[in-house]
Amino acid sequence: MAEKLLEVRELTAGFHTERGFLRAVDRVSLSLEAGQTLCVVGESGSGKSVTSLAIMRLLDYSGGTIAGGEIRFRGVDLTELPQREVMRIRGNRLTMVFQDPISALNPVFTAGDQIAESLRVHKGMSPKAAWRKAVDMLRLVGIPDPEMRAGQYPHEMSGGMCQRVVIAMALACDPELIIADEPTTALDVTVQAQILELLQRLKRELRTSILLITHDMGVAAEMADRIAVMYAGAVVEEGTAAAIFERPRHPYTIGLLRSIPGTTGERGTELYTIKGGIPRIEQLPGGCRFHPRCPYAMENCAREEPPLLEAADGHRSACWLTDMPEVMT
Amino acid sequence: MTEYLIRRTLQSVLILLLITVVTFILIHAAPGGPKQIYLSPNLSQAAAKVQEHNLGLDRPLPVQYVNWIGDLLRGDLGYTFKNHIPVGEIIWPTVGHTLVLMGAAWLLTLLIALPWGIYNSTSEYGLSDQTASFIAYIGFAMPTFWFGIILQELFALKWNLLPLSDMWTMGKEGQIGDLLLHLMLPVTVLTIGFLASYVKYARSSMLEVLDQDYIRTARAKGLGEGRVVFRHALRNALIPIITVLGLDLPVLVAGAALTENVFNWPGMGRLFVQMAVAREYSVLMAITLLTAVFVIVGNFVADLLYALVDPRVKLSRKGGAAA
Repeated sequence: MAEKLLEVRELTAGFHTERGFLRAVDRVSLSLEAGQTLCVVGESGSGKSVTSLAIMRLLDYSGGTIAGGEIRFRGVDLTELPQREVMRIRGNRLTMVFQDPISALNPVFTAGDQIAESLRVHKGMSPKAAWRKAVDMLRLVGIPDPEMRAGQYPHEMSGGMCQRVVIAMALACDPELIIADEPTTALDVTVQAQILELLQRLKRELRTSILLITHDMGVAAEMADRIAVMYAGAVVEEGTAAAIFERPRHPYTIGLLRSIPGTTGERGTELYTIKGGIPRIEQLPGGCRFHPRCPYAMENCAREEPPLLEAADGHRSACWLTDMPEVMT
Repeated sequence: MTEYLIRRTLQSVLILLLITVVTFILIHAAPGGPKQIYLSPNLSQAAAKVQEHNLGLDRPLPVQYVNWIGDLLRGDLGYTFKNHIPVGEIIWPTVGHTLVLMGAAWLLTLLIALPWGIYNSTSEYGLSDQTASFIAYIGFAMPTFWFGIILQELFALKWNLLPLSDMWTMGKEGQIGDLLLHLMLPVTVLTIGFLASYVKYARSSMLEVLDQDYIRTARAKGLGEGRVVFRHALRNALIPIITVLGLDLPVLVAGAALTENVFNWPGMGRLFVQMAVAREYSVLMAITLLTAVFVIVGNFVADLLYALVDPRVKLSRKGGAAA
């Protein structure tokens, strides 16, 4: 088996509070091969963003900590490295695109400046060379008149354009992996499609791997090679995009798929929803964390937590109900 | 830009004009008008009338105001009632002296407060932060004249290390070293007073900026903390600090009346107090007017600095700096 680009094993992370440790991410394992896109899907509060910040080793700056597990990037465990060494990887071989592009850019520096900065810091480029490369990057992400745009400030651009700048910034150093945390959530629907298209094209052309965090199953369907579904801090199902959409195993995933508003259904039929809400981290139910909301819950579910078990080839699900009847999807 | 400057200048002139009216009215409404100070009670009724007429004090107030403004526009600030000295001759040297004192105190304050505030923002509630809070309480609570007297008592009288007061030692006028020695105590008093608020401003402004998304982006780029704090955060944090600087600029000229009096510093503050006691109206009005000019110029400079630091601020046609 080829070496994985990213391998997260049993990652546990969260926040120390007055009432003890809040475990926002609970023994999460993910893996991603070079050139692939892995989508981490879940509702808000499922721990997706904390996972991405932990992988970037940015959690320390948000008041959080990694409490256990490994994050192997090309075989090197990032959790073992001091920040000084992580800085050489972060923003260089491993980069990030954030949710709200307008607030993610520094208002007092030009777009070109902010892209060029990465190149100067990581690649040791001269200011002139870095600027030229920054203009090239803007052209690459489809910004018209890049020479002019490079000299503009974030407030002079639209949200979609800002996100292109953020993506250009993330791509500038030719990274091996981009983590995109809800990159289209803050944007208009038409712009969302453009940004997703851009990410697809860049992935094809540059062979960059993408870890895409999203709450939107539609986005995952369009982008993912593999999908990991997170619920209340844990991965509940993981598999290829095809397998997840065609034969979902976990009742939560099934619920998520059924609650996508369709265009084919009959008018006036009520949209399916999963009853209840995601539990607070400090009040997780015993046993399976999904059982209070699960329509198929059994007696055993409240007592014992189901492990993430291989249900089919490369398709894992954390549910006691291993033979989910086909009819339920 | 040019249009902005012109509009801004016209506005300033209008404001100044209003200030002259208000100043004039207030001074003349104050009890014990110019007549009582100038006219001796021993003067006969007829002689007093002649004096009044010569000084123009018998004319209606609007006429007196127009005369005063007319003189002002020709650069004539008037004469003192007492010795008939041109007001300008009295005021201009004191402006320089005050600027030296306040400039030194301000510069020292900024040099200490900005780095200290920035440092405290990166180590919230640490020892350094607590110390700053403690000094802030002292700085706010302690009357400057009392603190000044204590310093004089210790450093000048008891230990004989520094000069007690004045700007120069007699016979050493113009020597920089002598001036610096004389600056020590008053500058210390003023700096402790300013320092408190500026460290706090710098700290809270930095804290707010360090919480922003773009700081996370800067870290995600793999930048070192030094670059994150000094390049990405500081420039944004300076924006609110400039506001405070602009508002405080007038203090440079007028604010140190107490300190100047304690240390017998020949500046505008001391002059104002002396002239108020002597009821020299023309001097008081000139100082008030000058202070007003500084306020207006201070705000103007602050707006220009905004545009320099924050690209979102455009000096637009619509008056002030708009975000």
